[in-house]
Amino acid sequence: MFKRKLQALDFPDPSMFDIQDDGQFRSMVLWLEDQKIRHYKIEDRAGLRNFDSSNQWTSALQEYLTGLHCPYSTENRRSMLDWLLGYAVRLEYGDNAEKYSSVTPEKFLERQSQNTRQSSNPLENLDFNDPQFKAGVTSLSMMLKIPPHENHLEMLKAICLLVCEKFSPDAIAAISQASKSEDELIPLDQTALGFEAGDMIMTEVAKILRLLHIRDLRDLQTKINAAIVAVQAITANPKTDSRLGKVGR
Amino acid sequence: MRSYQEELKYLDRVSDHCWHIKKGFVDNMKVDGYFFANSHLEKLMFDELRQSCNNKGFGGFLPGMKQIANVAALPGIVGKSIGLPDVHSGYGFAIGNMAAFDMSNSKAVVSPGGVGFDINCGVRLLRTNLHRRDVEPLQEQLAQCLFDHIPVGVGSKGIIPMTAQNLEEALEMGVDWSLREGYAWAEDKEHCEEYGRMLQADPSKVSSRAKKRGLPQLGTLGAGNHYAEIQVVDEIYDQYAAKKMGIEFKDQVCVMIHSGSRGMGHQVATDALVAMEKAMKRDQIEVNDRQLACAHIQSNEGQDYLKGMAAAANYAWVNRTSMTFLSRQAFAKMFNTTPDDLDMHVIYDVSHNIAKVEEHFIDGKQKTLLVHRKGSTRAFPPHHPLIPVDYQLTGQPVLIGGTMGTCSYVLTGTEQGMMETFGTTCHGAGRALSRAKSRRNLDYTDVLNALNQKGISIRVASPKLVMEEAPESYKNVTDVVDTCHAAGISKKCIKLRPIAVIKG
Repeated sequence: MFKRKLQALDFPDPSMFDIQDDGQFRSMVLWLEDQKIRHYKIEDRAGLRNFDSSNQWTSALQEYLTGLHCPYSTENRRSMLDWLLGYAVRLEYGDNAEKYSSVTPEKFLERQSQNTRQSSNPLENLDFNDPQFKAGVTSLSMMLKIPPHENHLEMLKAICLLVCEKFSPDAIAAISQASKSEDELIPLDQTALGFEAGDMIMTEVAKILRLLHIRDLRDLQTKINAAIVAVQAITANPKTDSRLGKVGR
Repeated sequence: MRSYQEELKYLDRVSDHCWHIKKGFVDNMKVDGYFFANSHLEKLMFDELRQSCNNKGFGGFLPGMKQIANVAALPGIVGKSIGLPDVHSGYGFAIGNMAAFDMSNSKAVVSPGGVGFDINCGVRLLRTNLHRRDVEPLQEQLAQCLFDHIPVGVGSKGIIPMTAQNLEEALEMGVDWSLREGYAWAEDKEHCEEYGRMLQADPSKVSSRAKKRGLPQLGTLGAGNHYAEIQVVDEIYDQYAAKKMGIEFKDQVCVMIHSGSRGMGHQVATDALVAMEKAMKRDQIEVNDRQLACAHIQSNEGQDYLKGMAAAANYAWVNRTSMTFLSRQAFAKMFNTTPDDLDMHVIYDVSHNIAKVEEHFIDGKQKTLLVHRKGSTRAFPPHHPLIPVDYQLTGQPVLIGGTMGTCSYVLTGTEQGMMETFGTTCHGAGRALSRAKSRRNLDYTDVLNALNQKGISIRVASPKLVMEEAPESYKNVTDVVDTCHAAGISKKCIKLRPIAVIKG
């Protein structure tokens, strides 16, 4: 509660604030008047400083709120404080309007990305079900021509895979190399499926799945080979001794 | 004894490239026999049968057709007994015969004659990025250099130091041993049938005699029809499949190694035949031909043979891998560079003398079978789970070694082959004349001159062998391959022709 507004006002330790605690509540009101709102002159703030006498302080607050034209009374402590904080934020913004309006979404992202290096995983703080987030995923998928899927998180996975495979520096380098040997491509309708899948569309789908499977297998085999090479670095020591050789008859 | 005309009643033409051997051709046939042949090859087959009839069964081998039929009479055989176009008489089974036995049938057998004496004899093909022009000026030196690196001939010894302990490990681990010791590249393994290692191998089932024979021979080519050849791409039939194998242009230089498990495999087969003769009496297994010694798959003798055979198969892979290592060294030396820069990758490595447990569909039902392939090559279709990922779209490469001085082929497996022949095709040219006949009829200087005229460098340990291995002694490999292509059991991909031959 109030955390974001308190943060905006640079209140020290906003998460520790407890509105039910009279002492904290009163200190908060005084802090707001002292630091942000400054409706009274300093010498006129004595009534709000008088924490010891509960009745006197409450009437001083009532008077103060009337002076600020606050729509809430002291009974409704929560709404009242929220209004007060909002008012303080408004004043703060008014004082530095120019500085705040120069903040653009790009700059914000930039600053956030700088922060990510400090925090362990900024994605944890993302709201994945935010409509804006969903809209972003949809527009990304349209740009990348990925067919739609009802679950936007699945879509996001597909986008990630595509970006890793097609747009990573390695992939781009590989594509520019592969373009020289373009004739290695073979049209889908010339590859044999090996079984009947019913209609043409299913056959094509089955072929694509097979091709994807083969690619995964190749990847696995390459990793196996790498493991063998790693072991060979330790064990291999091929020898020949031509003195042993003997040609037969 | 039936006359030739009477025998013909049991033979039916199914198509231009396939003949049917009906039950009754020999006694006890449990399934039908089939063989593939075109007009040239079928003439050889029928001549063989006629001659046997005229001789009243005396003298020489049984004709191939009879052997195919005798295999069809073995207990537990399923589907059919199949002769490939290069079929010719062998010990028990014809060479170029395949037969599958039902693992779930307790009576089903395994037969060493169905694998052959040279267990896991096979062909390996390496590519390079060299053009014929790069090699031509060095051709003679390169042939000599290969000859120096890969010892050949009867009684040859290898240049890779091996201890008895090394051998035990190699028998168990196959290509994995070569990888561990650094004789192979990591990528070699994925392009071998079975990934270069049969897991059921058990070195303790291999006799010490067999090990003793195998120890000094590792990394040697052997004699007989074995060879190492430097070849160039002569023709590309399937551009896409060739590209997948790294074959990019005509006249690209390749190295083909054809060898097996040497004396080691021979001893394993001999030991098993002795053990199985006893088991046959005990288990009352009846066969048409004494050479078809066999044992129930689940019997001790059957299991011991399969474990020993797997160990011998592993030996053969280590052997071919060692020669790959030596070839790479030879090329690197001649061209003053590294095998890496020469792109000397293994395209594939096939076994054409082996028995394997495989899954097949019989009448729409999936069955676990023990598939014997003797002088025939596995040819699995695209998308089969047991072929390397690089060949998932093209089908398994099938390497068909020609004979000295003739061309070799690379084929690919097809779906039709999977259905009709248990994913099997031919393995090479196949003999037309017996060794003795070749020696009588041919003169080795003529044979060498003919090779010279074709611009082929040759290095042999024993000139007499040249006669036995002359192209004239064999069926025409192009006929054999064209028949397989026309019958649809495999598909032509690349044709290679030799420019240098190293032989025993």
